[in-house]
Amino acid sequence: MAASETSPLRHADPVLLALPFAISGLGLLMIYSSSRTRLARQGMSQFYYVERQSLALVLGVIAMAVVLAIDYRRIRDMWPLVYVAVLPLLIGVLVTGRTHKGAQSWFQVGPLQFQPSEITKVAVVVAVAGYCHHHRDDLDAGRLAVGLAIAGIAMALVFLQHDLGTTLVILVCSFAVLVVAGLRPVHIGVLVLIGVTLVGAAVVTGKVAAYRVDRIVGFLDQSSGSNKTATQQTQAEYSLQESKIAIVNGGFAGEGLFKGRQTNLSYVPEQHTDFIFTVVGEELGFFGGATLIGLYGLLVWRLWRTALLSSDFFGTLLAVGVLAIFAFQIFENIGMTMGIMPITGIPLPFMSYGGSAIITSFIAIGLVANVNMRRFS
Amino acid sequence: MSDNSRVRVSIVGVVIVALFSTLLVRLWFLQSGPEDSLKVQAVLDSTSVIQTPTPRGEIKDRNGVVLVRDRASWAVTIDRDLSKRSSDKVIGQLAELLHLKIEQLRSQYLSDRQSLLQPAIVALDVSQPDRLEILQDPQNYPGVRVKALTVREYPRGSLAAQVLGYVGEVPSADLPRLKKLHYGPGDDIGLAGAEYAFESQLRGRPRRETISVDPTGAQVGEPVKIDTGAVGNSVYLTIDSNVQRAAEKALAEGILGARGLQNTDLASTGLVNFTAPAGSVVVLDAQDGSVAALASNPTYPLEDWVGGISTANYAAITNPASNFPLVNRATQGLYAPGSTFKLVTSLAMTKDRVRGIGDYYTDVGKFSVGGTTFRNAKDEQFGPVNLQQALTVSSDAYFYTVGNDFWNIWDRGDHRRGLGIQSEARDLGFGARTGIELDENDGRVPDPAWKSAYAHANYKTAKAKKENSVWYPGDNILSAVGQGDVVVTPLQLANAYAAFANGGTLWRPHIEDHVVDARGKVVATTKAKAIRHLTFDPNVSATILAGLQGSVDQSKGTANAAFQGFPFNLFPIAGKTGTAQVNGKGDTSLFAAIFTANGKQYVAVAVVEQAGFGAQTAAPIVRNIIESMTGQHPGIVHVIDANNNPHD
Repeated sequence: MAASETSPLRHADPVLLALPFAISGLGLLMIYSSSRTRLARQGMSQFYYVERQSLALVLGVIAMAVVLAIDYRRIRDMWPLVYVAVLPLLIGVLVTGRTHKGAQSWFQVGPLQFQPSEITKVAVVVAVAGYCHHHRDDLDAGRLAVGLAIAGIAMALVFLQHDLGTTLVILVCSFAVLVVAGLRPVHIGVLVLIGVTLVGAAVVTGKVAAYRVDRIVGFLDQSSGSNKTATQQTQAEYSLQESKIAIVNGGFAGEGLFKGRQTNLSYVPEQHTDFIFTVVGEELGFFGGATLIGLYGLLVWRLWRTALLSSDFFGTLLAVGVLAIFAFQIFENIGMTMGIMPITGIPLPFMSYGGSAIITSFIAIGLVANVNMRRFS
Repeated sequence: MSDNSRVRVSIVGVVIVALFSTLLVRLWFLQSGPEDSLKVQAVLDSTSVIQTPTPRGEIKDRNGVVLVRDRASWAVTIDRDLSKRSSDKVIGQLAELLHLKIEQLRSQYLSDRQSLLQPAIVALDVSQPDRLEILQDPQNYPGVRVKALTVREYPRGSLAAQVLGYVGEVPSADLPRLKKLHYGPGDDIGLAGAEYAFESQLRGRPRRETISVDPTGAQVGEPVKIDTGAVGNSVYLTIDSNVQRAAEKALAEGILGARGLQNTDLASTGLVNFTAPAGSVVVLDAQDGSVAALASNPTYPLEDWVGGISTANYAAITNPASNFPLVNRATQGLYAPGSTFKLVTSLAMTKDRVRGIGDYYTDVGKFSVGGTTFRNAKDEQFGPVNLQQALTVSSDAYFYTVGNDFWNIWDRGDHRRGLGIQSEARDLGFGARTGIELDENDGRVPDPAWKSAYAHANYKTAKAKKENSVWYPGDNILSAVGQGDVVVTPLQLANAYAAFANGGTLWRPHIEDHVVDARGKVVATTKAKAIRHLTFDPNVSATILAGLQGSVDQSKGTANAAFQGFPFNLFPIAGKTGTAQVNGKGDTSLFAAIFTANGKQYVAVAVVEQAGFGAQTAAPIVRNIIESMTGQHPGIVHVIDANNNPHD
C-alpha cells in the first residue's frame, strides 16, 4: 500500500494510527511487570504472556491493514453480512465453548482461545450504523425497533455467555450510534426510562437494597453465573481493595518500574488482564496514569474528529460507535480499578492481556482510520 | 452532515470529556491523598525472616553409586481452610485435570502425616500445561497453589530402605528443640536411618532473608539481610550397593523358600510350613567394622514417603499384619543366638581353663542336672568329642556341661571366673549397643544380678521375688548354648564373629565412610574405631576356626547340607549354624560365616524368624551372598528340607 498520488493513505491520520502502537507498547511493559514474578514462581517463562500478547499484536496489525485496504463503503453495503457472520460464532460458543472465569465465551483454537463476543462489538456497530445509514432520513419507531433488535439479539447471545461487561459495551455503543443517527428525543427519553426502571426494579425487589449501585451490577453478574455467588462476592471486594491499595501506593511519581509492591507480590488478581491499570498506577504513579489517560484522550479525540470529518453518514455513525466502545471501556475499566465503577470483566483497550480484545481493537481503529483517509474520495 | 448530527456528535464529545475528567480527578485524589500515603509509609517498620530450604545432600554407596538424591518437583497444594464442599469440588476438578484418582487426592489432602499449618501437598510432578491451567484459572481452583519443591529420589528404588531411612516434616513435638537450628513447621528433616543419622550433614544451611513487612505481612522493598545458606553435604556410605542387592535378594529368596519348607517340629499337628515372616542379613568388613550390607525383610517402598506419606500408605506399613517393615531388624531385631553363641562359650571356657581344647567329652545326646534334662537337637548322640568336633557337629551336651561347670565355679564362690561366659560375651560386644549410626538395641547377657533385678521388678510378692532371683544351673547351661534369656542383634553377632576373625579387635561398626561438600571436597572421613582389643590364645583360635570350617565343609558339619558343591579350596569358609527355640513359635534360623572376598575378610550373618534349622534357611542365604561376593554368580537360594538331615 504505497502512498501514491491517488492512494487514500495520503490522507491517513498518523496520530490515530500511531496511538495504538504507543499504548500497546506500554501495555506489554505492564503485562511483563505484573506477571513476571508470578510466572517465575510457577516455573514458567517470565515472558509467557508478553510473547502471546506480542503475537496478538502482530495479528491485530495485519487485521487492521486488511481493513484499511477495503473501502469502508463496501463494508457499509455489506453490513447485513457482517452481522449475520458473527451470530453463528456466538451460538457456537454457547454450545461448545469453554467456561473461563465464569464466562462461557471462548473457542479453543489449538493453543489459542478465541472470544467471539469481542468482535461482536464492532460487528454490531457496523450493522446498526449500516442500518441507520440506509434509513437515515426516517428513523421512526418501527425502524428504531429493528435497530434495537439488531443490537438486542447480539446482546442477548453475549449475555447468555455470562459476559455482562461486553453486553453493556454493546448496549452503550448501539445507543450512541442510534442517538447520533437521529433518534428522536422522545424515544431517547423512553429508552432511558426503561433502563432506569429495570435497574430500579432490581434494587427494590432483590435482597440487594442495602448494597451500593456498583454492587448491584456485580450482583447481577454473579447470579448469572452458575454456582459461586458467595465466593465471587468476596473475590470482587478483595480485588477492589487490593487494586485501590496498589494505585494509592503509587503516589504522584510511582514506585518505579518493576518495583511495585502490590504488583510484585501478585496481590491484585487478574492484574495482567482486567486490572492492568493498577500496575500503571502503582509503578508509574499519577504521572504515568495521567499520561495514559491523556493518550486515550488523544485517541478518543481523533475518533471524534473523524466522526465530524466523515464524507458520509455511515462513516460518522461508525466513528461514533467505535468512539463509544473505546470511551466506555476505558472509563469502566479504569473507573473500576479506582472504585468508582462496578467490577466487570471489561479489558482496557490495547493494555489488557487478551488476544481477541487486541485484534478487535486494531480492527476498530482500522475501520475509523479507513473512514478518515477516504473522506475526500 | 446535518447540523442535527453535528450537535449530537458534539454532545457525545462533551460526555466523553466529562468521563475522562472524572477519571483524572479520581486518580489525583487517590494518589495525592496525604493520609493514605502516610498510612502506607508508617507501617514499614517490622521485619520478618523468609527461610527457603536448600537442596539436601546425596547419599551414595562406597563406590559413589547414588542411592538418594534431591530432585525438583512441581507440586499442587490445596489450602487447609476450604469448606468440605469447596475441597470436594476442587479435588474433583484436580482429579480430572491431573488424571488422578479422587480417592488418592483426598487421601493426600486428609493425611495427618502432613502439617496442618501448611497447604496439603496432593500431587507431585505436575506438568507445565497443567500448572498453567491452574494458574490461569484461579477461580476454578480456589485454594489451589502450585509450588516448587525439592523431593527425595531413589535411583536404586527401595534398596537399603531401612538403612537409608526417609525424610518427612519435622514432628511438632520436636519443633521447640529444633527451633534454634532454624527448623520451622513443614520443614523436612531426616526421620529414620541415614537420613536421620546424618541430618546435620545432609541438610545444609537454609537460605534466610530478613525482609521488611507491612501489616499484612507483605514484603516491602529488597531484603535487609541475606544469608545465602549452603547446599547439604553428600554422605558416602560404607554400604556396597552390589553386596546390598545380593543380600536383599538372597534374604527375600531364602524367606520365600522357607515358607515352602515343612516345619517338622509341628509334624504332630499336621503338615505345616514355616511362616518365615521376617529376617535380616549383615555383611561386615572384619578388618575395620565398616558395614557392606544391612538387609531387613519385609521392606517398604521409599517412594511412598516422597512429598509426605499418605494416611493409607502409612497405615499399610505400620499395620502389624505387614510385620513392621520400617524396623531395621539387622540392628534392632532381638533374637536368641542359639548355637552361634557357642563361639563365646568356647573362648570363655579355654580362657578360664574350664575345659581345654584337647579335652574329650562323651556326648550321649543329653545332660541332666537337678532333675532337669537338657537334650541335643533330635536327641542325636555324637560320642566322644573335643572342642573342634563339638563345634563342627554342634554338640549341645558338650556346651551344656561347660555351662554347668561354670555354674559350679560360680556356686563355689568364684563369681568372676564363674561368670566367664557372661564377661566373654560382653567383651565381644553383646549386651550393649555397638555404636553404629543407626537405631539399635542393647540385647541382653543374663547374669545373677540381671535375674535378681528382673525378678524384683516383675514379681509382686517377696516370696516370688526371691524365688525368681535364684541363678540356677539351668540359667548358665542355657546361656552357654545361646538360649534362655540371651538375646542379641544380628549386628552384634556379626561384630563378635568379626572380632574373632580379625584376631581380637572389636570394631565399632559404622556405615558412614566419608562426607563431601557441594564442591566435592572431602570434609570428613570416618576412621575405624576400636571398642576394645581382646587377646586370644592362637591355639584356641586355630581350633575354633577348624571347628567352624568343619561345620561347612565336613560331612558331619551342621551346615554341610547347605554348602554341597561349594569350592572350599578356592574360597575357604568358617561358619556356625544356630537354631534358636522360641516359645510358641517356629525356630529362628541363624548362620554366621567368616570368609574372604576381593582380598578382604568379611563376616556375614543371616537371621530368619520361624524358618527352621540354621542350615535350612540362614546358611543357604549366606552361601548365596558369599557366592555373589566372590564372583560365582549364584542362582536363587536353595533352602534345605529337614529330611536332608541338617541338624542344630
